[in-house]
Amino acid sequence: MTYANVGALRVPKQSSKDLSAMLIDTGAMGGESALIQKEYERSVDHYLFPFTTRWANPITKFLSLKKEWEDSTAHLSSITEIAMHPVYQQIIGMGPIAIPLILDEMSKNPNHWFWALKAISGENPVLPEHRGRIKQMTEDWLQWGKKQGYIK
Amino acid sequence: MNGKIVEDLFPQLKVSGYSITSPPTQEYNCIAWAAGDDEVCWWPDTMNIYYWPPQVQRVETIETFIMAYETLGYVVCDTPEYEPGFEKIAIYEKDGKPTHAARQLNSGHWTSKLGRLEDIEHPTLNTLAGSSYGSVAVLMKRATGTPS
Repeated sequence: MTYANVGALRVPKQSSKDLSAMLIDTGAMGGESALIQKEYERSVDHYLFPFTTRWANPITKFLSLKKEWEDSTAHLSSITEIAMHPVYQQIIGMGPIAIPLILDEMSKNPNHWFWALKAISGENPVLPEHRGRIKQMTEDWLQWGKKQGYIK
Repeated sequence: MNGKIVEDLFPQLKVSGYSITSPPTQEYNCIAWAAGDDEVCWWPDTMNIYYWPPQVQRVETIETFIMAYETLGYVVCDTPEYEPGFEKIAIYEKDGKPTHAARQLNSGHWTSKLGRLEDIEHPTLNTLAGSSYGSVAVLMKRATGTPS
């Protein structure tokens, strides 16, 4: 059996999904079996990729924090409350490694990332006349990201 | 987005009734929306990131929010009841900090932008009061010039 490095772990390359595919190929799985198989896959995934290991990868950590932040602050109007949310602060705490991840995210889905970018980079490329205009602020930051080499 | 999330956050809406009047957007926030602006996010953040009237101090207090709306012609008033010829707004606060603003419609109902979610129309100000936005701290009004 071959192994792959996942964070600090060495895990078998054959994953639960491979096993699932093999069972489906036999044509022997009904509805209940499929449900059991799905739960089996979830438990194997939890075993092979525990939460701590997932967070060893900055992309996974960022996406996980982003989701929690978005869900927790969607209804808030106070920019300060949005930016001071503990999860947002954790993203800021990731430091410069978060900058390309944030820029990539905001290129697809503009959001209130300006506070984090300014806090991490110490810069503010937003033109005064663009202040508060989310699309233009996003564009200013993406241009900055290109100049800084974060975006190719 | 759907009404379920809105109702979970503001349970009184389910009782009073409400309607979603826009798709979710981040282009503007409730403070701008209350003033009729649907293009800009207003907030007096200390990072100097978002729009705030330049003549008003960038401090998160009810007083500075009143001053911000005063730049648009609003004055403080006493009651939320509809007055023909006037447009009213309400500023909510929680723990001494402004949290939300709503604008009165000609129907006497109110319109609110809920964070990054949708705009809604709600019958009373109390329907948004609670653990998220706190309660109404100040009411303001300005003449619309067209009594109806």
